[in-house]
Amino acid sequence: MDSSNAMLELVRDVPTPIVDENARPAAILRGTARGLEVVLWGAASVDAIALAIQTHLDKAPGFFRGSDVRFRVEEGPLAAGCLTRLDELARTFDLRIVEITAAKPAEDAVPRPSFAAGSAPANPTATPLALFEDESPTNTATLAIPEPVDPIIELAPVTLAEPVALPELPDPALEITKTAVPLALAATAESELATASETRIVVGPIRSGVILTHTGNLFIFGDVNPCAEVRATGNIVVLGRLRGTAHAGIGQDVAFVLALRLEPQQLRIGRMVARAADSDLPAAEAEIAYGTSDRIVVERYAGRLPRNLATSI
Amino acid sequence: MGRAIVITSGKGGVGKTTTTANLGAALAQLGHSVVLVDADIGLRNLDVVMGLENRIVYHVVDAIRGKCTLAKALIKDRRIENLWLLPASQTDDKDAVTPEDMRSLIFELKATHDFVLIDCPAGIEQGFKNAIAGADEAVVVATPEVSSIRDADRVVGLLAAADVPARLIVNRISAALVKRGDMLSQADVIEILALEMLGAVPLDDQVIATTNKGVPAVLEGKGLAAKELIRIAKKLAGHPVEDAESVGFFTRIGRALGLSASPA
Repeated sequence: MDSSNAMLELVRDVPTPIVDENARPAAILRGTARGLEVVLWGAASVDAIALAIQTHLDKAPGFFRGSDVRFRVEEGPLAAGCLTRLDELARTFDLRIVEITAAKPAEDAVPRPSFAAGSAPANPTATPLALFEDESPTNTATLAIPEPVDPIIELAPVTLAEPVALPELPDPALEITKTAVPLALAATAESELATASETRIVVGPIRSGVILTHTGNLFIFGDVNPCAEVRATGNIVVLGRLRGTAHAGIGQDVAFVLALRLEPQQLRIGRMVARAADSDLPAAEAEIAYGTSDRIVVERYAGRLPRNLATSI
Repeated sequence: MGRAIVITSGKGGVGKTTTTANLGAALAQLGHSVVLVDADIGLRNLDVVMGLENRIVYHVVDAIRGKCTLAKALIKDRRIENLWLLPASQTDDKDAVTPEDMRSLIFELKATHDFVLIDCPAGIEQGFKNAIAGADEAVVVATPEVSSIRDADRVVGLLAAADVPARLIVNRISAALVKRGDMLSQADVIEILALEMLGAVPLDDQVIATTNKGVPAVLEGKGLAAKELIRIAKKLAGHPVEDAESVGFFTRIGRALGLSASPA
């Protein structure tokens, strides 16, 4: 992944060619900073899709070897047997399928935001809370992260020979990743995920090296230790210390992470990622983290959910 | 039928081998028959710590491969009654034995001894899997350092997955450093690992000195560490245990927090 990243950045500045809607290809391949993205035309046949991908990959064999691949299905659903075929292709070209999603309107044109937004946290307890007044987050952007946008570049291996100025990249720790939906969930439409939320109760501690994944809300009695990871399509509640990584709201827009002591290594909500500020003090009270349109907000948990979140359970 | 206890930690250099040697010697002094098994195949050193390195003829791999009987591979310690060592091979590697081999070997040893202490290699690979295969319970050794705690946490998870109940020894704790705020306290360690605490062994120069001589510290009986190790051995064997004076304050905290053994 690392080596392919370095190569990918070389083609970052290539302008995105306009896709001709009339002669729609069955599959479009794009190199992104996170690996390969493949947009599939759901209405195309399995063979057409496979052929299109194969043709593209054959042009630059080895270029994406070992990297992650994300499939996005437009005008789906995919024909029967297509997933198996994609899996085979991924194996052939040594790719790792990390995500399959139904289409959303592309955001290609949006420029990468600057990452000036700081992390230096105000003491969360110092600011009075306005939980009962309205839904706007009033304080403590302890973990502030801008809009999740990834520049998407059309793969153009030809330009590799030419030296291109490397664009300045943000700290990788702050880099926003899109949702990585586990394969088992991947075929499910987002709307279905929202309704299929079951609450799972787990007795901790969740120890280092353990990854706990659940479709629905996740309730943990006990600690989540450093280097453990809890992931849920719904909300995550930790009745203990959250010291590992939590990813709530996978594939969703609204979700929260609540912990008696919120001291995560990393917090991911929906498509946003935040890491703990280096200067963070140990938490002294229960806190809740949720995503707004452009950032992850952490506030003291005052015994009730912020209004916009109450509906997400 | 005896008990097989694996001494493990994940991280290397935290004192697994020294702890194994001392607990073994202390248990033998208490009158139990004990065999120490060095599962660190390829990097054996329990024999050096025990001062028995010159007496090795056969080792664990020979016994498993049937080159000798198991009884022949056991080295009897001449200083104490009832203490034996099954040394590791220095020329093979971890793949020379399988978890099944170890399971039947440990089972055989349990039939004739009260305690089988298995010195686990560092890491969580084949050597670790071999070492825990035959164990009924585990003692996790952690020093009050973040790296050691992180690794111990991982190991405790793996032990739980293998259905091996684990207890904790915090090793090389320095009351002075803790007091100054320069070292994690026992309470900090227990808070993350959420394990029942067997004891906290203080940092003690005596241990280094005796270990280099090939004599377990408990045999000389001097020093705070030796006292605590004897106390831990009694606790392991179910003897009545007096309160440890040396680490009193921290032990009390430990007991208060540590008795909530975790199911996971």
